[in-house]
Parts: sequence; C-alpha cells; structure tokens
Amino acid sequence: DSHTQYERVGADVTMKCGSMDWDAAVTWTANGTDIDESHLNGSYLILKNVDLTQSGQYSCYEGSSWHLKYQTYLRVGMPPKEPVLMCRSNNYPNGFYCSWHLPTPTYIPNTFNISVIHGTKEMVCEKDAFPKNRCHIRYVQLFSTVKYKVTLTVTNALGKSSTTVTFDEVTIVKPDPPESVVAKPVPNNPRRLEVSWQNPSSWPDPESFPLKFFLRYRPLILDQWQHVELSDGTSHTITDAYAGKEYIIQVAAKDNEIGTWSDWSVAVHATPWTEEPKHLTTEAQITETTSASSSSFMPPPTTKICDKGAVVGSGAVAVCWTAGLVLAAYGVLFI
Amino acid sequence: SPAGDSWGIFTFLCAALCNLPALPALNCSEELGAGQSIQKTYDLTRYLEHQLRTLAGTYLNYLGPPFNEPDFNPPRLARATERVPSATVDLDLWRGLTDNARLAANYRAYSRLLCYLRALDGQAGTAELRHRLGHFCSSLQGLVLSIAGVMSSLGYPLPVGPAGPSVPPGTSVAPNDFLKKMDDFWLLKELQTWLWRSAKDFNRLKKKVPPAVVTLRLEARGF
Repeated sequence: DSHTQYERVGADVTMKCGSMDWDAAVTWTANGTDIDESHLNGSYLILKNVDLTQSGQYSCYEGSSWHLKYQTYLRVGMPPKEPVLMCRSNNYPNGFYCSWHLPTPTYIPNTFNISVIHGTKEMVCEKDAFPKNRCHIRYVQLFSTVKYKVTLTVTNALGKSSTTVTFDEVTIVKPDPPESVVAKPVPNNPRRLEVSWQNPSSWPDPESFPLKFFLRYRPLILDQWQHVELSDGTSHTITDAYAGKEYIIQVAAKDNEIGTWSDWSVAVHATPWTEEPKHLTTEAQITETTSASSSSFMPPPTTKICDKGAVVGSGAVAVCWTAGLVLAAYGVLFI
Repeated sequence: SPAGDSWGIFTFLCAALCNLPALPALNCSEELGAGQSIQKTYDLTRYLEHQLRTLAGTYLNYLGPPFNEPDFNPPRLARATERVPSATVDLDLWRGLTDNARLAANYRAYSRLLCYLRALDGQAGTAELRHRLGHFCSSLQGLVLSIAGVMSSLGYPLPVGPAGPSVPPGTSVAPNDFLKKMDDFWLLKELQTWLWRSAKDFNRLKKKVPPAVVTLRLEARGF
C-alpha cells in the first residue's frame, strides 16, 4: 500500500521496507530507477540531507520475487514561514477583504485558516473562489470604534505559522485606481491636454462617499512629475503642457475624508495639439516650382483642423475669446 | 516701551480670538441657506477632525501608557458605552435615516460630547494642553450651533431633552484612576469616530438640499 511522506529540506530520511526484516534482501527504486546499494543500511533506505530534487516515488521490492513490498511518495519541503497578510476596503462601506501569501514557497500543500474578531464577536470571512488566497467580509456596523483583529494561520505537514493584523475600520479604506483614463489634445491649444476618468467600478456609493483625485503628469523626456489634487469632478484640463511634447498621465483616487490613496491608474499618453508650421507651405511652393510637378500642393492632413491656412490665427483667437467670455459668465454665476 | 505695549495688545487679541467659535458667520446663521450651512458644517467637521488628531495625541501622552500606544485595543466596558454617545450604527439603518434623524443624531452626540470634553479641562496636565482643550471646545460648540442652524433652516425642531449627560459629570466619578483614564480614552475615540461619521452624514445631506436654495442665498448676499 502506498502513502505520502513529508520531510524537511536538509533532513536525514530513513525508509523501512514495510514489514520486512532489517536483514532482508530488497531493491529500492526512486521514480522507477534502481537505487545504488550504498544508500542502503540493510533493507532500510537512508537519504541524507535531502533536497527538493529527491522528491518522488520510492518503491521497495523483495529481492528474488520482485514483489512490491512498500511504496511511498516522498515530498521534500519546508515548514511555513510567517505569512504576509493584508486587509483592505476598496468597496467602503460595504465591507473589506483580506489577502495573504507566503514569503517563500514551502513546496508542499498548505492550508490557510483565517479568523476575524471584532470586539467580542467572531466574524466569518468568506473565502473567494478567485483569487484563492483571499476572503471577504461584509460590514454589519459602520463607524465602529472597536478595532478588527485578523489572524491568519498557515499549516502544513512540517509545521505552522501565523500572523495577526489589527486595524480600525477607516484606516484600511483604499479605493481601486480610477478607470477609463483618457487624455486628449485640445484643438487650437498647444499647451493644453484634457484628461477625464471614471470612478473605480468597485466603489459602491460615490454619492455618499465621494472620491477625490490626484493627477500626475510629465513629459516623457523629463523625470519630474507635476501634481494636481482635485476635490471633485472626474476631469481636468492641464494648461501648462510643453508644446509638442508627448506626456504621460496618471490618476489616483481616495475617499474624501478617510483612508489612503489608491495605486496609480494605468498610464495614458497624449501630446498637445500643434499648429501646422507655416514655413512648410513656402518650402512646398519652392519644391513645386523646382520639381516642375503638375500636381498641386496638398497640405498635410493636420491643416484640416485649422481650416484655411491664413485664417488659422484669427480663428483660434476668436475661439479663445468666446471661450473666455463663457468661462467668465460661468464664474460670476457660481462665485 | 511702545513696542512692548503693541505686542501685548496683539497677544491679547489673539487670545480673545482663539476663544471665539471657529465660525464668525454663525451670527448670520439665519441668513445662510441650508445648502451653505451644510457645507460650512461639513467644513467644520473636517477642521475639528484635523485638530483632534493633534489634541488626542497630546492628551493620550499625558494619560501615559498603555493609552498612548498605537496598538492599544481594549474591550469596550459597559459603563463607557452608557455615558458617551456612540457613532457606531447598523449600515442599513444609517443609509435609511431621514434628514431630520440624521441631523438630530449629530446634534445630540456633539452636545453631549462637548459636555464631557469640558469636564476634562480642569484636570488636564500642562497649561498648553488645557489651552488646546479650551480652543477645541470652542470649535466644537461652533459645530453644535452650526448643526442647530441647519436644522432650523430646514424647518426641523431641535431635539429636546438634556443636552448633557443624564448624570452630570463629576458625580459619577470612576472608581479608580485607571478606569477614569479609560473613560477619557473612549471619549476621544468616540469623538474621532463621530467626526468621521459626520463628514459622511453631511455628504449625504449636501446632495439632498435643492440647489435653488443655494442660488437664492447668493442673491441675498449681493453677488
């Protein structure tokens, strides 16, 4: 009959051939390969200072008859080190989740047991199907003054280890990063970029629990970020971008009053609008005359935005002026 | 010397101003529409929460270990729960609160918390700590008045009944020094939690006040 045996890395392992006597003639195999007699002490198999590569199926056969007398699956591994446990509420006020992992692998199966204590009450943390090392709890009460104490115990055949985290309801609040971040150039504005985003979909109630945002941006060629904190709204116009430079932009979110900032969102790239350079037209005219081409000069596609070349300047000014008036009226209404 | 006199006057003015409620606009609370009052009340809870962080740290250090240890997580004794109003509330219940109930809960809580906090004044350690507590109490009084202003502008009656604790502070003194310190610890904890809760309460209230009320008040202020 076969069974599984767990041993620590570096241990000395002695395997007995079932009920056979010490002086019986036997042959041992490891994963089907004969083991040299030098590893035998009588009918016992001695493995000194085992390592991970020695995991496998070990079988013992009676010398002459080749009957299988004993079989075991050796699994070399380690007892668990202190696990890493983290709890976070990305869906406040609905609840929170805890996730964990081992800092180093044990190479053998582990079981995890989690307990959550709130004051005197023990709460059940429901294990998630995916990801595996995660469980979630629904808040029953809100604005609690008593801390939550979460203990995770890892157990395997070679030992156990546990860790505990204690926290207040509000300190573990950390939203997911904002979603659908979009950055676009603003026509006729060479120093502007329009950025918009959405609340993370995991945040259940942005009405009662509004988020504030942190925007950071820099041209790709520089290392220094610029930051803007926005207390409401899910869009912002950057007005000091360097003309013609490609920018990288990210946004983070935080509950207005409690908890910590989310991770940065996925980065988006954008380059501010650039005006079609005027000297290109004259160069093209020279090319036209010298090459004696019969085809008329075709302006590059970008000039379509500007409409007619000569009118671009005044057109842009007209737009700016109108926008300025509208903004001023808006401002007066809402001061 | 003239320089000394003006410095003295300056210090006096500062001390006088520090003891006023944080919101000078409270004198005109009838003029403010509900929308603006709610915003101001919200802002005041944020201000107080920020102030409390420093104040609580100082006070807990005065109480000494284990109260000033970050991991300190004592069980809630029955006597503490009776005395200090708790912000803790069932999640669905909190969501379903009417505006009136929501405001009334805040009003009652801060009225009582103010009372208890004032009782700390006489016993606290250094003059600086007492001064800080005094300033905080003034600001907290401002909050109570601000909430009252919101309630009256929305047409809600102020909650009746004792604004202070059912048993006047000082008469039910804790049987020993340690339990008294525990009471102080829980008072500060509940105050902090109430300020977190109020921010959320007022966020909800903000959304419900019709914007028309805000515009009317803007006209009244001459914009």
